[in-house]
Amino acid sequence: MSVLSQLNVIQVEGLTKRVSTLEGELTILSEINFSVKSGESVAIVGASGSGKSTLLSLLAGLDTASGGDIRLDGDALSTLDEEQRACIRAEKVGFVFQSFMLVQSLTALENVMLPAELAGDKKAKSQAIELLEKVGLSHRLAHYPSQLSGGEQQRVAIARAFIGSPKILFADEPSANLDSKNGHLIERLLFDLNKQNGTTLILVTHDEQLAQQCQRIIHIEGGKLEQIREGSAINVG
Amino acid sequence: MWVKLAFRLFAREFRRGELTIIFAAIALAVLTVFSLSSVTERIGLNIEKKTSDFIAADRRLSSNHEFTENYLDIASKEGLETASLLFFDSMLFANDELVLGSVKAVSEQYPLRGMVTIKDQLDELPYEVRGGPKVGSIWLSEGLFYTLNVNVGDTVELGAGQFKVSKVLINEPDAPFFSLAGNKRVLLNYLDVAKTQAVQAGSRVFHRLLFAGTEQQLADYYEWLKPQLKENQNWEGIKDRQSPLGENLARAERFLLLAGLFGIMLAAVAMAVSAKRYCERQYDPVAMMKTLGGSRQIIRNIFLTHLGLVTLVSIAIGLGLGFILQHIGANYLAQFMGTQLPEAGAKPWLLSAFIGVVCALMFSLKPLLDLFDIPPLRVLRRNLGDKLAISKIHMVSSLLTIFALMWLFSGQIILTLILFGSTLVVIGVLFAISRALFSFGRKLGLSPGSSWSLAIATLQKRANANAIQLISFALAIKLMLFLVVLKNDMISDWEMQVPEDAPNAFFINIPEQDISPITAFFNNNGITHEAFYPVFNARVNAVNGEELARRLSKQEGEEQDEDAREGVSREPNLTWLSDVPEGNEIIEGEWFSGGDEIEVSVFEGWKEVLDLELGDTISFLANEQRFDAKVTSFRSVDWGTLKPNFVMILSPNMAGKIPVTYFSAGKLESQHNKDISRLLQRHPTVSMIDIKSRLEQAQSIIAQVSLAIGFVLSIVLVSGALVLISQVQASLAERMQEVVILRTLGAKGRLIKLATLYEFILLGAIAGFVAALVSDVALLVIQQQLFDVEGRLHLYVWILGPVSGAVFVASIGYFMVANTMRQNTQGLLRKLS
Repeated sequence: MSVLSQLNVIQVEGLTKRVSTLEGELTILSEINFSVKSGESVAIVGASGSGKSTLLSLLAGLDTASGGDIRLDGDALSTLDEEQRACIRAEKVGFVFQSFMLVQSLTALENVMLPAELAGDKKAKSQAIELLEKVGLSHRLAHYPSQLSGGEQQRVAIARAFIGSPKILFADEPSANLDSKNGHLIERLLFDLNKQNGTTLILVTHDEQLAQQCQRIIHIEGGKLEQIREGSAINVG
Repeated sequence: MWVKLAFRLFAREFRRGELTIIFAAIALAVLTVFSLSSVTERIGLNIEKKTSDFIAADRRLSSNHEFTENYLDIASKEGLETASLLFFDSMLFANDELVLGSVKAVSEQYPLRGMVTIKDQLDELPYEVRGGPKVGSIWLSEGLFYTLNVNVGDTVELGAGQFKVSKVLINEPDAPFFSLAGNKRVLLNYLDVAKTQAVQAGSRVFHRLLFAGTEQQLADYYEWLKPQLKENQNWEGIKDRQSPLGENLARAERFLLLAGLFGIMLAAVAMAVSAKRYCERQYDPVAMMKTLGGSRQIIRNIFLTHLGLVTLVSIAIGLGLGFILQHIGANYLAQFMGTQLPEAGAKPWLLSAFIGVVCALMFSLKPLLDLFDIPPLRVLRRNLGDKLAISKIHMVSSLLTIFALMWLFSGQIILTLILFGSTLVVIGVLFAISRALFSFGRKLGLSPGSSWSLAIATLQKRANANAIQLISFALAIKLMLFLVVLKNDMISDWEMQVPEDAPNAFFINIPEQDISPITAFFNNNGITHEAFYPVFNARVNAVNGEELARRLSKQEGEEQDEDAREGVSREPNLTWLSDVPEGNEIIEGEWFSGGDEIEVSVFEGWKEVLDLELGDTISFLANEQRFDAKVTSFRSVDWGTLKPNFVMILSPNMAGKIPVTYFSAGKLESQHNKDISRLLQRHPTVSMIDIKSRLEQAQSIIAQVSLAIGFVLSIVLVSGALVLISQVQASLAERMQEVVILRTLGAKGRLIKLATLYEFILLGAIAGFVAALVSDVALLVIQQQLFDVEGRLHLYVWILGPVSGAVFVASIGYFMVANTMRQNTQGLLRKLS
């Protein structure tokens, strides 16, 4: 393993994803190659159906590739089974989803505690309270998701994503379901926490403005990597 | 750490009502099985006890001849309780009054089952005792006190002996239900028989041995006894075929069993639906947990803990509620009966807890295994894993489990196979019908935008899901209709057998000249009475000139018709009638032709016993007078009615050819007692058989069983409602989504509400109609095959089915979605997200 590859927290080589359909085999991603350094923020952009969400799912180990390899903090995902990938997610990965994906039967505090509890962390509660304070929801600890606004739910999801101090944070259209005011608030929160924690951020979006806030932008089109360009955040970050 | 999380999630899911249906379904299955099996067991034990009471033993052995064998010794060695009885007639004498009494001498152990009802004085209240009179005392029936003009404490002569009258005999458990032996009953100690000197060689006496013990002891003893039985020795079991109650109680047992099976079936459907739904609702949380790094092991532990907790809590609550319910039910029944029901053993507890565990495991395991397989990718691709929900394995395992549960509960493979198989056929037919109905609805072409067209569109859109829902609704309604109709038919059938105005006293040995004064007495006292039947005794001497003894073939005591056997061995009571009596049906030949020849119609049971054919000539001997009659018909006789029945009925041209006495029946009230005694004194040849207490006992048992059936039916109804609720709840999320879309598109609340209401009305009415169709046809078969009740179509079912289906489904469905419709669109959207 080269020194360079050790610095890369994500390394993608020849990544291909094919699925079987009634009409035959369909290639969703083809020969994708790129790498992401630790602490870097990267936006994956592309039109609907371009394959960006599939790429995110493969990077996070939620799905398996048909070809090629992904190294996540040095671990080759293709050699791991689902349980081992879950272990890696528990240790190193945080998520923020477009549809918040909160467990409806748990309160805001319990939702944030969930990943730490699954990892057996005994300080789950204090960490969760601290994070909820950071996202400005210390007064909403005992509220259930259905009692929170969309923006509040996403803030809970962001707090949950940062518990356990993950190395990599995957965000799938985090502000797409929110109005612009709440959307901007969430985006700012996400980038701030990312910076504070030194987390690597992989952000899937079709919002060019949001993508521009990242250091690099990976453009996917028709399942192929069209372009990697620098975002405006490169000068800031 | 996962333990805390598991408990927290469980508590929250429980509070949110996500586990309510699955919890209620298990609890209901446990409650159903527990209350049914314990009530059935308690009623069963009581029925057995009551039936045993009718013969004062579990088995009895009767003969016209003395038992010289060591039957009693061997029985005692087998551990059986025994008692000896001797029946004979003897003259009673007191205060210059002489009367022929029917004496029953009983040994000390009598009765082995049931109680003897007596009074200390004529004007005191009756009470029950176990045992008969002591040596030197006798107990007399009330009528004899008036006839002999004696009181308790007086001495009467019976045969050559003198005895002190110590009690008023009201009833013995094994008193004949209907017999022409007379009402002048005397109970005597067996040891006093010799003192009367009434039993001599050649005397007409009847011997009886009573046995009681466990079924196994009795079976072992009978195995030993069977080869030794002589032709004139008759072994009787508690399932006395001619006890009018025996048949009804057996039917009630079958009904309770059937209802229990239906209850289980419904609870199982509710459980399968709700378990599947619960697991589906957990797809997202599980996908999320997996995404957040939760291992399969942890997720498995969390949800198996949920299953364990649900099972434990629901079984405990099911047992608790079941215990309370059966306790209340049993107490209520006991009040009706005036006796405590025997306590049930451990079986209902074990059986119902076991069934709860089996239900929980079998109906939840497959959905749970599916749940563990939910891919984490579902967090991004929301429909991923949905196909897991349509699982053939789950369906097959659920069906097999239902089958196993039914078999376990009923212990009857044939009944289970019939019910289960027919239900599968019904499901197939219903699926086809429902698809056809929905596609027909599509062609109706209602105006767009109306509530009706929206309702029909919604039904069509979810044709498959609706077909499944429809099947569940129809099955639930079918089972409920089925039980309601069966209950009504069975109870009305019983009430017909033992009507409120049934005669409770029979008058026999009425000379022709006494008919008019007795009729006048009845009319003056407002006593409703039946016609006066001519009756005489005759011995069946020969058939086609062949002596009867040679024609009798030895048959197995138990299988042979009881009345036939006893009847052949003594002189049957004959009558003549111009019409076929009620409860009788000609099954072969024709009713009397009206010619000069004397004809006879014979009870079918005697056809085989006497090896008779149509056209045979039977020679009778009545009081030294011989006459012949030609067999022109065979009749089936419903021994279950309280009407007088005759094994041989002669043609009306017998009138005037032979001396007869007459027989009638009336309904007496307690205020008639004294006048009746005086009437009997004025007409000393006339005897009265009082069956009032027997009739009351029969009616109270029927009331008890009817009540038990109502209780069982209500449990089945709750199970049915649970199926409906679980089904509606299963489709609630989808409905919510539709409401959101329609609201967003500007549909008025009223339109949505009406569309939902109409959808449920349509669904319920169709389900109800199909249920009525299937249940009424199935009822025809089951009533005839299983319940021996005359099957008939029930018009009211065809109205009740669709109407109750529509009302039931619409009210439950509407109530459940009404809450959804009250929320604003934003609130719903948030919930959906």
